[in-house]
Amino acid sequence: MTKLMYFAILLPAVISLLALGTRKLGKVCAATALLGAVVNLVVALKLFLAPAHAVHIPWTSWGLDFTLRLYPFSAFIVLAAAGFALAITLYSLPFMAKREHSGLFYFQLLLSVAFANGAALADNLILLLFFWEGLLITLYGLIAIGRPGAWKSAMKALVLVGVSDVCMMFGIALAGHYAGTMTISKMHLVLTQTGPTLAFLFLIVGATAKAGALPFHSWIPDAAVDAPLPFMALMPAAFEKLLGIYFLARITLDIFALTPGSWCSTLLMTLGAITILVAVMMALIQKDYKRLLAYHAISQVGYMILGIGTAVPAGIVGGLFHMINHAMYKSGLFLTGGSVERQAGTTDLNKLGGIARLMPVTFICFFVTACSISGVPPFNGFFSKELIYDGALERGGIFYAAALLGSFLTAASFLKLGHSAYFGKLSEANKGIKEAPWAMLLPMLTIAGFCIFFGVFNAVPLHKLIIPALTGSSFGAAHVEEIAKTHLVGWPVSTLLVVGTLVVLALALLNHFIGVKRSGSGIGAADHIHYAPGLHQAYDAAEKGWFDPYEIGLKLARALAAVTWGVDRFINWVSDSLAVGLTAMFSYIVRALHNGSLSVYIWWALAGLVLVIVFLVKVN
Amino acid sequence: MLLVVAVPVLGAILLPLVGRFCTCTRNTLALLMVLASLAGSLMLIGPVMSGQVIHLDFPTGFGHMMLLADRLAVFMALVSSLVGGIIVFYSWGYISHYENQNEYYFLVVLFLGAMMGLVFAANLLVLYIFWEITAIASWRLIGFFRSPAIVLRADKSFLVTFFGATMMLLGFIMVREQAGSWDLPTIKAALVGHPLTNMAVAFILLGILSKSATLPLQTWLPDAGVAPSPVTALLHAAVLVKIGVYAYARLFVVNMPMPEIWHTIVPAIAATSALVAAGAALLETDLKRLIAFSTISQIGFIFLGLSVGGELALAGGLLYILMHGVAKGGLFLCAGIIEQNTHCKDITKLGGLIKTMPVTAIAFLICTFSVIGIPPLGGFFSKYMVIAGAAQGPHLWIVLTFVGTAFLTIIYLMRVFVLVFMGEPKTKLEPEGSPVMVWSVALLALLSIAGGLLIYYPSLFATEATRQILGLIP
Repeated sequence: MTKLMYFAILLPAVISLLALGTRKLGKVCAATALLGAVVNLVVALKLFLAPAHAVHIPWTSWGLDFTLRLYPFSAFIVLAAAGFALAITLYSLPFMAKREHSGLFYFQLLLSVAFANGAALADNLILLLFFWEGLLITLYGLIAIGRPGAWKSAMKALVLVGVSDVCMMFGIALAGHYAGTMTISKMHLVLTQTGPTLAFLFLIVGATAKAGALPFHSWIPDAAVDAPLPFMALMPAAFEKLLGIYFLARITLDIFALTPGSWCSTLLMTLGAITILVAVMMALIQKDYKRLLAYHAISQVGYMILGIGTAVPAGIVGGLFHMINHAMYKSGLFLTGGSVERQAGTTDLNKLGGIARLMPVTFICFFVTACSISGVPPFNGFFSKELIYDGALERGGIFYAAALLGSFLTAASFLKLGHSAYFGKLSEANKGIKEAPWAMLLPMLTIAGFCIFFGVFNAVPLHKLIIPALTGSSFGAAHVEEIAKTHLVGWPVSTLLVVGTLVVLALALLNHFIGVKRSGSGIGAADHIHYAPGLHQAYDAAEKGWFDPYEIGLKLARALAAVTWGVDRFINWVSDSLAVGLTAMFSYIVRALHNGSLSVYIWWALAGLVLVIVFLVKVN
Repeated sequence: MLLVVAVPVLGAILLPLVGRFCTCTRNTLALLMVLASLAGSLMLIGPVMSGQVIHLDFPTGFGHMMLLADRLAVFMALVSSLVGGIIVFYSWGYISHYENQNEYYFLVVLFLGAMMGLVFAANLLVLYIFWEITAIASWRLIGFFRSPAIVLRADKSFLVTFFGATMMLLGFIMVREQAGSWDLPTIKAALVGHPLTNMAVAFILLGILSKSATLPLQTWLPDAGVAPSPVTALLHAAVLVKIGVYAYARLFVVNMPMPEIWHTIVPAIAATSALVAAGAALLETDLKRLIAFSTISQIGFIFLGLSVGGELALAGGLLYILMHGVAKGGLFLCAGIIEQNTHCKDITKLGGLIKTMPVTAIAFLICTFSVIGIPPLGGFFSKYMVIAGAAQGPHLWIVLTFVGTAFLTIIYLMRVFVLVFMGEPKTKLEPEGSPVMVWSVALLALLSIAGGLLIYYPSLFATEATRQILGLIP
């Protein structure tokens, strides 16, 4: 039984190497990958059913030990990751077939699974970082094998995530130092002293950046266009959310006790609210299926961070529930995007339209997942969002208002997306479009089915997945007692919140009709917001990349580099010119004194003699 | 231990003679000599890990203890001879097109031998002598291509390091005055409770900084990029610049206590040096100069680890020497392949090389990841240990400077990779280098991976060495 956790890490890694070995053999490689995903799911299921336990192999004397811990939370993450990995591998079989580098794709997919399993199971902070940062390699590789020129996005992703990982490394070093141990389940720090607070902040940077929150987000929309689509469904939509929010929860529930009154909690909520609003505003004006989804992948993280940041039970449960819900509907949405891309040959909304009749199954999947993300009852997104609203309202109306505004814009942008892609006029060129093959539809349908299931029967995930996860955390157990008293399962208690949500959805619908009427098309449904006075200029600047943290960071780095370059050149001048010049000057003077004239030399000798006499007299 | 030093130093003299008859034998012999050092060092692992300190005494006019092998020395000897061996192997392919090969192999092997001598030296004067032998050898090696501009650069590096060495000799004389001996163990015993004078520390430090190319004596290192690539790998990455770092560990950490103030000054110098060089690397366009700047920057990390105090940082600094040597050696050797095949060192004029040089590209990428510190590669562990060790110390600002430098490292190294290997080809695409060269870089990349996956062994060695240094165990 104890070996099972090693298998969860080793098996995908070994099979990934097999896939690498057979990468030239097309179908063999794909079959190997599918086998790997199935095996991984079996192991994950077994882990999920296994009792909680830990394994510990002492490794080094400086804190890095091979400590794995299986408990409901980590088992839940591993299981969810395994499910997505299988669905996306199956989906990739037709999608990646005949593409260049499909072998490398499967290799890195399975390697990512191995790293993700390791990061989820690790109970040693350095070991966690080891697996966590290892994902950088596959992040880079998976984007780089996309369309020609994708390496630019790959580098952007690597730099942004890499920088956040270095921050996290520093945070881990500090946390381990103050806690005196690297074992996560034994670390208990308080947020009242400066040192631990600093550690907390750096850890938060790592966790939220992995999840895709501001300001480390801007690679995701670029990658959406450049990377192979299954990558988007796998990493930014599923794995990174699962891991990032999982670690955020462990930081705030295991390592530190985040309390509702603390400024750290307010900071997290603010970060969440800003992420929601900024990203969704950008999503609203996108004209590309995949880019639009990518901005939502950022925006939705804001809800999770907001929920966990509230530090009240409803918010935390909502945040975690939203994590798994988001992974499902966003992954599903990206898959529908891929299916449109493969069948129609484009994801440009200007060229799409009216394909709902031609691709009915894809459209149904899109409909379900879009309703989920917009928070329409009774789909899963509705229930998790209500919980987050509940928590946010408890902490302050402003956060609730921000979240609600976010919901309005989310619904508006999905109305626009659905309208412009699936309805409207079917162009001549698109008449021949057919439905996607079953290997792509099956994963999409499964995910859509789960979106409905987790909504209608939300007691199942909440009782079987989320609450046990909290019970296993050091500081989470206290929340569970409170949760037992409150009513989190089933239809939301607060009718007021439900009414608020419904009103916002209705407003979004109204807004959509106004937009369509004004612009005359589905794609222009958001134009009246896009070109509103004030917003227009801000959007233009954003589109030019003025607010892109990556561009700003690079500019700062270059400015710093210019300064240090000057320092370096100055030192070079000192050694190459100044030192040489001084030497030359000295030898020039000395040479001038040695002009060969005997009389001058006699004068020198006399002067020297005088000095010697003066010296001797002084000494005596 | 005597053999470890003597085989390459004395054997080197044979090489030009053999080379007159058969180049093949000479090449093999050169590699064998370096491998003999490696084998000897490997054999020393057993005794030193069981706690022995082996020393070799014979009385002379300036002390009687000549050589000494403890864990630190054996660790360093292993790193240098391992990387050195691969570089000699690579040279078989690289240098075969050029003249003066006899001189080349003679100097390289002599250099590595002197390095071994320096590592095991237990006497200040012995250390100084080997120090200068390395300087002379590297002077000739940097100026290996004889054009006047190149010889000028070689002169510069020699003059700068010689200036440092002279200062260091002055410092050694002061130590002799204070402690009454040239022998390090005797000095150590004499200095217990009496730290060195500030003047002596400053003089010796100048020598160390000049050799390790640290601010303010760093500029010779990028200029030395004109040397043949295996030489730059040898000098910049693996061996020469590590001499200074090693001397710092050997002298100040192990034997001669410094006044307290230097535990702030040295990390501050290291931080400035790391940051300045990283910034310069971001703007540099010459491939080899850029990697040289990166070396200066990474040496700062090693200095931080060694100087900040504490077991974790010290062990991290030692591991860094290993991981950086392997990865940076790989980068320079890749640069050598690129330079030799495309005749171009300007990264803005290169591009798309991954299509025709896949192995070099992947090896370069792996080594890049290792220097950046991405797991599962070796560089991750050493970088973590240094940063974590320093974070436990009092100088938070210095650590934050290093965190910023780590950001820059990601940017400038990825910029190189992307410019050289990705994008549209700007030159005629050339095929891979010779098999010997490609195998060498692949080997170094594999070593980077192995260093991470099998971290247990190097980490054990480094921590044991650290404990011995700190006197926690005999």
